[in-house]
Amino acid sequence: MMIFDRFPVAAGTLLASVVALNFSMLAAAYGQSAQAPTSDPTNAGKAVFGKANCMGCHKWHGNGGGGYGGDALSLRKTDLTRDQIIEVVGCGRPGTGMPFFTRGAYDEVKCHDMNRQDAGAQMPPEGGMFLRSKDIEAVADYVIAHIKGAGEPTYAECIAFFSSSSRVCDVYKTQAQKPDDATASRGKGQ
Amino acid sequence: MERSSGHTRMLMRSCLLAAAAAVASVMSTLPVSAADEVSQERLLNVDKEPGNWLHHHQNYSAHRFSTLKEVNRDNVKNLKVAWTMHLGGIEGGGIWSHGGLEGTPIAENGFLYVTDGWGSVYKIDAHGGRGALVWKMDPKTDRDWAGAVACCGVDNRGVALWGNLVISHTLDGRLIATNKETGQVAWQRTVADPDKGEVITGAPLIVKNMAITGVAGAEYGIRGWIAATDLSTQKEVWRTHTIPGKGEPGSETWKDSNNAAAAGGGSTWVTGTYDPATDTIVWGIGNPGPDWDNAYRPGDNLYTDSSLALDATTGKIKWHYQHTPNDPYDYDSVAENVLVDVPGPSGPRKLALEADRNGFAYAIDRTNGKFVWGLPFVKKVTWTKGLDPESGKPIEYDPNKSVQAYIASVTPSRTNMETHICPGNMGGKNWPPTAYNPDLKLWYIPVIESCNRIKVEVMTPDKLKPREFWTGGGPSQPFKITGSVTAIDVTTGKIAGKMETPFPNLGGILATPDLIFTGQPSGEVMALDAKSLQKLWEFNTGGGVNAPPMTFTVDGKQYVAILVGLGGAWDKWFIDATPELKKIQPGSMLYVFAL
Repeated sequence: MMIFDRFPVAAGTLLASVVALNFSMLAAAYGQSAQAPTSDPTNAGKAVFGKANCMGCHKWHGNGGGGYGGDALSLRKTDLTRDQIIEVVGCGRPGTGMPFFTRGAYDEVKCHDMNRQDAGAQMPPEGGMFLRSKDIEAVADYVIAHIKGAGEPTYAECIAFFSSSSRVCDVYKTQAQKPDDATASRGKGQ
Repeated sequence: MERSSGHTRMLMRSCLLAAAAAVASVMSTLPVSAADEVSQERLLNVDKEPGNWLHHHQNYSAHRFSTLKEVNRDNVKNLKVAWTMHLGGIEGGGIWSHGGLEGTPIAENGFLYVTDGWGSVYKIDAHGGRGALVWKMDPKTDRDWAGAVACCGVDNRGVALWGNLVISHTLDGRLIATNKETGQVAWQRTVADPDKGEVITGAPLIVKNMAITGVAGAEYGIRGWIAATDLSTQKEVWRTHTIPGKGEPGSETWKDSNNAAAAGGGSTWVTGTYDPATDTIVWGIGNPGPDWDNAYRPGDNLYTDSSLALDATTGKIKWHYQHTPNDPYDYDSVAENVLVDVPGPSGPRKLALEADRNGFAYAIDRTNGKFVWGLPFVKKVTWTKGLDPESGKPIEYDPNKSVQAYIASVTPSRTNMETHICPGNMGGKNWPPTAYNPDLKLWYIPVIESCNRIKVEVMTPDKLKPREFWTGGGPSQPFKITGSVTAIDVTTGKIAGKMETPFPNLGGILATPDLIFTGQPSGEVMALDAKSLQKLWEFNTGGGVNAPPMTFTVDGKQYVAILVGLGGAWDKWFIDATPELKKIQPGSMLYVFAL
C-alpha cells in the first residue's frame, strides 16, 4: 500500500512536535469531550483527531497542504478506505512524515510486513502518543464520516469542529454571513 | 515515549499561574516606584543610561552592545544564577503544540518587561537581587485563529516603552498599549489580519511618537507591509507595502500574468532600525511567495529579499538593496540592518550591515543604498559562486532573465524538482540578532551552518487560498545542521573569527566591551572573549535557548538576563537536522545571572 503523499517528507520531521504536543492537547481533549454534543457517534474520533495532533499537519479540515513540513495528504480527497486509514494511523507511512500511533509498531507489531530493520531509513516517525486500536478505529470513522469526500471546508463544519469563540472560522463565512462591522469590531475592548 | 504525568503537570501549571495572578493583584495595589516617562530624547540617547535597555535591539542602530563592564573577561567565570522566574505562554494553538520564548527583555530603572509567545507582557521588579512579578497583561490572543497561520511558531519578541505605556504586539494582529504602572490595557488597535494570513511576531520600534509594526505571513500569500501608528491618536500614520502596487515603481519586477504580486510575500517580522540623522527607517524584507516555485513569479520581485529604507515621517521608500532577486530558496532578508559608522578611504562611511539567510553578510552605504562589501559568513554556499564585487549581486544573476537559476544544478526549479541546497532555507542567519562592538569594530553573527533538501511543487492560481500555505514546495532535513558565532571586522569586511557550535545559533548575541554572550538550543548560555571568541563561561539552563541575552543594572549591580524556552520554527519543522534536540522539553523561564 504505497499511495503516499505528493511529496513525502523525511521520516521523523514531525516527531518532536507531535511528542511535545502531548500534555497541552490532553487538556484540550478533556475540555472538548465535556462540551461536545453526545449525539454524534464519531465524537470520540474527533477527540482523537485533536489530541493526537492530526490537525498539526492535516489541519482541522483534513485538507493537509504544503508548507514547511511538506505536503500532508488531503484526507478530503483521499481514496483510502477505512481499513487503509486504520493501517496508516497505526503504522505511519514509510518514507514520509506520517507517524505511527500503535505501540510496538515495527517491533512486536509488524507493519507493512516490516520491522524496524527492514524499514531502515524509510522508518516513519513515532507519534506523540500511542493510540489504542479502539481509538484508531474511532478516528478512522470520524475521517470517513466527516472529512473524506467532503469537498471544500465550510463555515458550518469549522464551527462544528472548534465549538469555541475563536475567529478561526470567520474566513469560511460567505459574504452574506459576515456582519458589516466585522472589521470595526476587532480590536475594541479586551 | 511515556508522558503520563502530562495532565498532572498541566494542572500544576494552572495552579502556579493562579498563584502568580494573585500575587500580581496584591502587588498592583502597592505603590511601585515612579518610572520616568520614556521620550524620544531618551530613546535617542540610550548611552546616557547604560544600566537600562530601552530598545528591542538596545539602540536605534541595533548594536546590542552594552558598555557595562562589571562582568568582564577577568571575572565572568564567577557568573552565577541570581534568580529565575517561570513564565507562561507554553500553550498550543492552531498547528502548534506549544509556545516558546524568543523575546528580548526591556529593562528600565530596575524593572524588566518581557513577553511570552502568546503576547502576555510581564513586568518584573528586579530590585533586591530577586525577581517579583508586578503585573501580567494577558491579551487573550485568539490561539486557534492566529496559531493556524503562524508559519514558524508561537512567537513574540518583546515590547517597547513610550511615555507611561508598554507597547506590544500579539500574534493575532494587535498593537496594545498597557499602562506601565497598573498593567491595565490603555488601548489596542488591530494592525494585521490573520484572515489574510497576517500575524505579528516582532517587537515594535518606537520612532517619534509612532509605533512601527512589521508583519509575518509570506508563506500564506500575504502582501507585506510596514505600518506606523500614532501613539497619541492611535491612528495609522502610514502603511508602506513591501510589494509595489500596479504601476508603482518596482511593479515591473513582477512579470507574470497571475497577479503574483498581490500574494507575493515580503514579510517584515524582524524589528528594524532608525537613523535619526536622516530620519530614515531601515527594515529587512522577507522572501517572495510561493517560496520555491520562482517560475510562478518571473521578475526580480521587488522589494522581497531587500533592505528597504523609508522616510520615517511619511513611510516613503528612499532606497532599496535587493540581495537575492527572484529568490527560489526562501532566502529572506528580514534580518535587522545594523547601522555603523566606520572610517573609510574618503572619510567616515555610514553603513547598514545585514547578515542574510542566503549566507552572505552585506555592508550597504545607508545614505544611498549602494553595495560596499559582502562576503559569505557560513562555511558552505552552493547556490552561487559568489557576489559580483561591484554590484554585490550573485555572480550568476542575469538581469535579462525573468526566472533566475543561479547555479542551476542545485537550485529548486520546475526542472529540478528535488535538490539539496546550502545554506538551507533557515539560513545562514535567521531572526536571532547580531551584535556590534563599536570599540573593536567587530560584528558578531549567530550562524546556522546548514544545508537541506527542497522539493518543489508547481503552483497554479487555484492553489492560492486564504489561510493556507503558499510555499510551492517544502524542505526536509536529511543533513545535520550545526552553528557558529562568526565575527566580521567591519573595517575590512573580512571574517575575524568563528567559534563553531554543535547546534545552530537560534538565540542571538549580546556584546559588552570585552565579552559576547550567546546560547544554544541544547540549553547552554555562554560568554566568549570578544576578540578570540574563546569560551570563558557556560551555564546549562536545562531548556532550549531560543532568545537573545541582554544586560542591565539594578541597585548598582550588573545582571545578564535571557529567556529560555525552545519554540519557534525549529522544533516543528527542522528538528530532524538536530535529532539530539528532540529531548529538549518545551519550557518558559527567565534566567538572570550576576557575579
